[in-house]
Amino acid sequence: MMTSNTIKGRDWTAVFRTGGSGITTSVRALKNQFMLAFRTPAGRIGLPIVLIHLTLALFGTWLAPYDATDFVGPQLDAPSWQFLMGTDVFGRDILSRVMSGAGSIIGISAAGALLGIALGTIVGMGSGYKGGKTDEVIMRIMDGLMSFPSLLMALLVLTIFASSEIGQRLPQEGWVILTIGIVFMPPISRVMRSTTLALKTQEFVQSARMRGEPAPYIIFREILPNTWSVLAVELSVRLSYAILLASSLGFLGLGVQPPSPDWGLMISESRRYIVAAPWVALAPAFAVASLIIGVNLLTDGIRQASRLPQKGTYP
Amino acid sequence: MNEKQPEVAPLVQVDHLTVTFYTPTGVVHAVRDASFEILRSQVLGLVGESGCGKSTAAFAIMGYLQGVNRVDGYISFEGKDITKMSASEIRRLRGDRIAMVYQDPATSLNPSMRVGPQVEEVIRTNLRLGSEQAHERAVGLFESVGLADPENIGRRYPHELSGGMQQRIVIAMALACDPDLLIMDEPTTGLDVTTEATILDLVVDLKRRVRAGILFVSHNLGVIARVADRVAVMYAGQVIEQAPARELFKNTHHPYTAGLLSCVPRPISEDEVTTKLTSIPGVVYEASKDDIDACLFASRCPMVQDQCQEKAPEMFNAGHGHESRCFFWRDVPKGLWGKEIPREEIGHEGTSVLSAKNLRKFYGRWQRKYLFFGPQVKPPVRALVDADFDVKSGRTLGVVGESGSGKTTMARTVAGLTPRNRGELQLRGDDLAPEVEERSRQQRDALRMVFQNPTASLNPQLPISHAILRSLRKLAGLSRRESRERAAELLQAVGLDPGYLERLPGELSGGEQQRVALAGAFAGNAEIILADEAVSSLDVSVQAQVLDLLGKHQREEGTSYIFISHDLGVVRYVSDDILVLYAGHVAESGPADCVLKPPMHPYTEALLSAAPVPDPDAKPTSIRLPGAVPTLLERFQGCFFAGRCPRKIGPICDQSPPPPRIGSDDSDHIIYCHITADELKTIQQS
Amino acid sequence: MVRFLAVRLSLIVLTLLVVSVVIFMVTEVLPGDAAQQALGQSVTPESLEALRAKWGLDRPCYVRYFDWIGSALQGDLGDSYKYNKPVVEIVGPRLYNSIILLVFAFVISVPTAVITGVWAGVRRSSFGDQFASIVSLVGISLPEFVTGILFIVIFASWLHWLPSSSILLPGTSPLTRPSILVLPTLTMTGVLFAYIMRMTRANVIDVMETNYVRTAILKGLPMRRIISRHIIPNAMLPTISVIAVNIGWMLGGLIIVENVFAYPGIGSLLLVAIQSRDVPILQALALLIAMTYAVSNLLADLSYGLLNPRIRIS
Repeated sequence: MMTSNTIKGRDWTAVFRTGGSGITTSVRALKNQFMLAFRTPAGRIGLPIVLIHLTLALFGTWLAPYDATDFVGPQLDAPSWQFLMGTDVFGRDILSRVMSGAGSIIGISAAGALLGIALGTIVGMGSGYKGGKTDEVIMRIMDGLMSFPSLLMALLVLTIFASSEIGQRLPQEGWVILTIGIVFMPPISRVMRSTTLALKTQEFVQSARMRGEPAPYIIFREILPNTWSVLAVELSVRLSYAILLASSLGFLGLGVQPPSPDWGLMISESRRYIVAAPWVALAPAFAVASLIIGVNLLTDGIRQASRLPQKGTYP
Repeated sequence: MNEKQPEVAPLVQVDHLTVTFYTPTGVVHAVRDASFEILRSQVLGLVGESGCGKSTAAFAIMGYLQGVNRVDGYISFEGKDITKMSASEIRRLRGDRIAMVYQDPATSLNPSMRVGPQVEEVIRTNLRLGSEQAHERAVGLFESVGLADPENIGRRYPHELSGGMQQRIVIAMALACDPDLLIMDEPTTGLDVTTEATILDLVVDLKRRVRAGILFVSHNLGVIARVADRVAVMYAGQVIEQAPARELFKNTHHPYTAGLLSCVPRPISEDEVTTKLTSIPGVVYEASKDDIDACLFASRCPMVQDQCQEKAPEMFNAGHGHESRCFFWRDVPKGLWGKEIPREEIGHEGTSVLSAKNLRKFYGRWQRKYLFFGPQVKPPVRALVDADFDVKSGRTLGVVGESGSGKTTMARTVAGLTPRNRGELQLRGDDLAPEVEERSRQQRDALRMVFQNPTASLNPQLPISHAILRSLRKLAGLSRRESRERAAELLQAVGLDPGYLERLPGELSGGEQQRVALAGAFAGNAEIILADEAVSSLDVSVQAQVLDLLGKHQREEGTSYIFISHDLGVVRYVSDDILVLYAGHVAESGPADCVLKPPMHPYTEALLSAAPVPDPDAKPTSIRLPGAVPTLLERFQGCFFAGRCPRKIGPICDQSPPPPRIGSDDSDHIIYCHITADELKTIQQS
Repeated sequence: MVRFLAVRLSLIVLTLLVVSVVIFMVTEVLPGDAAQQALGQSVTPESLEALRAKWGLDRPCYVRYFDWIGSALQGDLGDSYKYNKPVVEIVGPRLYNSIILLVFAFVISVPTAVITGVWAGVRRSSFGDQFASIVSLVGISLPEFVTGILFIVIFASWLHWLPSSSILLPGTSPLTRPSILVLPTLTMTGVLFAYIMRMTRANVIDVMETNYVRTAILKGLPMRRIISRHIIPNAMLPTISVIAVNIGWMLGGLIIVENVFAYPGIGSLLLVAIQSRDVPILQALALLIAMTYAVSNLLADLSYGLLNPRIRIS
């Protein structure tokens, strides 16, 4: 999470860099956010959980005892020393599938959340800074988009676009990422808009206007660095919502397609044998739950560190 | 303890009080050593700059400190130590025996509850009265604090009341159970001067009426001088001087107090000249630093000796109830902080640099009852109505007025940050576009601005070099290298080390930040600098530094200033010309001497009369304005000031707007009032 | 107040207009077209044209939009492609089932969440608060399908107390078999409770840090009165809008919960409609859900306006 964001910070500011310290400013601000978060109790518990998941995401396939798609044992075998979490209906090792599945869900969620943040930031900051009629119209559209529950919105976008002819050319993972990005754009743009509105009246922005700085310069160079604390919280909140959304889509069969391991899909498939073989569901359920709990703890840590209120929008 | 004289046993005795907070970012020594006594029927003024621990001391007496803290020493209230009381013991004292009035009445009242019940609940809880009796008592209280319509005002919500009325409600609430001790924590800070004057009158009146001891906390020496019988001065968490009020102001025994007094612009009577202000160098010994065995003021003191650095001074008794925490209290000279140098007068001539004709700004538009149709229910806010003024070259135009008078709107329309609706604005004869983005580079360069809040005027995420360098490159057109060199020079010119360039604004004190903002404004070739409340958020001890820098720059470069402030003392100190605004209208404009000596407009007269003076012997003039500044929503049929004018002469004031009139010998002196100068003189004398 | 309501109402009408355009565009304009979908890839251009003309797809899209929205306003939402029956007949009974589930979940979660939130916020940092905070953090972290599956494992597979699925015979009301309602309701309640509780707690903490609560404390009032007169009324204002927003968003959770338990409501219908590309049903459900959201927001604004003297008085 940290690495990807650092890279993002560099890409963003380098474009608009003029004064010499664009990279350092942004990186320093973001680093401070996370450093402070780790000092809070919530951050201290959340961080190791997230780190374990990150390790699984990067090396899970390699660390797993078996190949995730190989039929290695008897069907629906209860947990044993050989298969710590038991096997599924095809005799695949559940532990290995859970470990190998971490990469796709974390990758998809992170990419989707980042895409949503990027879109939302551009729309929200632009609309907020411009103000007037343009802002009214854009925000009305965002309100309209936000009156669908995000899952419904995602379902509509995903089924209609991804299954169309052109849609087939992009892999399903790509569509899920895009969907998450689109679904997250309205709420993020609202948050960024109100942040921009608050900062816009600040005297350093007025001062920049009086120097004759152009609007993009003011937005990206003067205002953006001051939104890091909001962005850090937003990133972390959105990441947990993205995991929720992506795994829910997986559960409904619209995420990563079989036989690739997907936690949501694994739970969905276990539904049929739930009475006879409950262990099939337990491992992936525990994996999703612990990942989201870890990210949420981290969010609370970041919030406490930046003294932002414990509020946000529901997915 | 005072067994020999039980009749003068102090109501409250605070003895070697220390309050230390333990926060995640470090230890804060809010109060290091404070000892004082409060007697019945007496007002103890507790004065000091921000961060000196005066409010913390006040809340410690209420037994209310938030966060992880440690309190040492003792606070005895009628012989019992408050610091050792249990929660329920202290709750029984609060509201009943000890009551408090707060700095910000608007946020101190529950917004979703009518004010009557908010007062009645204190009475019912502490005096155990029935609701009917409580209501009657509340009505009586509202009447005694001078609220109009006491029977019905209790049915209002806080947001329906003006700031002054809200504070009267809070005072009524504090007086509800006839407390023995009344603590007032900056009760007039944030209120307009005219409102402040009426609240202070109420406090003086209370002192006579009630038997309570009053602790009055304020940063404003003028306010303290008006109300206090005895004054304790706090510095860096210590009480450093304490004396009866008159004695303290006349016969100062501590260099810090002497410094504070010479930092405040004193009002002048007709024959006196304005004297140069002094500033105290450096910053307050920070609360985050540990106690040291030395005088905490030593690093800023002009009469520091070796002894001060080696040993912490204790309180020395100077007789007449006067105590000072200075080894050399006997030797604090009169002119310690510089001689009273008369300020140089500038002649009345000067060509016009900026002229405004009929400048108008309304916010919003008429709103209808059902959004798109129905009757018009809410008019636009008439923030600035057809103002005319001229800024002359090399001179300072001081703009003064209360909140809601339109002075900030004026600054913003001139700066082009808010487009004007109407009117002409000319810079050396060339039209200025309504919005700053449409103005030419030369015009932007010629008109710079310094803002009120130094912390917000520098981007907290960027080093302080950023704004200065951008100004130099965008406006002065310097190359990257040239601008670096020039930025270093500019910082030196405002008295800061060039090494500051790479620091973040958060690492600087408020005064330093404002000096950086000045450096930014000086960066180009500004002809006019707009200073919007540029010193209002600074402590008095650093206020003078900023004012001095502005004056120095003006003498060297011939820059003109528009200096906006709610503080008439400061405006009077810096201005050559003065513009008095009221409710979006120009009340009076002209050369400073003509406007102020003597005041010719009833509003100017009231402003002058309300301004607090740091001298307990100053005769308080009795002109007070009732009510509050109008909402700016109405369109005045007659004179804009008619609703509050104490000198109203008759129906003409309500019926026709006052014509501009030449006020005195100087043809630049314009007054908008129906009363002629001679008439006003007769009214004043009668 | 009148003006406040007028503004809110017109904003909602505007939002619904935007929503209907979005729904129409997403379902009609973008996916190629329904005739193509219906006839498949191997079709002659002539027959495609014929079907398009028959369904009116050859008309410009704005004409079709007004046609659709016009008949929708008259209660005619068209016929389902899959069931060949009027949409209203299919959606009606399912909607009834879903509303029952929602009402149960709401009635259980809102009061308990608000009470717990106030209790935890007032006792900030106490053991009880920390415990409640951890429980609610876990609550908002668990996706509905995880909670649902866990409930099934515990109450159906191990304890055998309750049925593992909520299948109903067509035409029967879920109220005739209350046992099938327990697990779906519990699942929906979990997330709702956690979310509303966290919000309430955060609002209470915000209010407790205000100057007027300090005033109340220094007036010597007993804690009970401070909580009931000064903290709760002010903390409830922002909480109400949170609750309202949740009514709308609960419908998202409904899709998952109904699928976990095979409960015959609009959530499971929606998934069927998506899989079978039943555009009329899809449009109807999307419009329904967006309207629920809008109406709940309006209710929130109303109660907010009634409780907030600033709006009520002006």
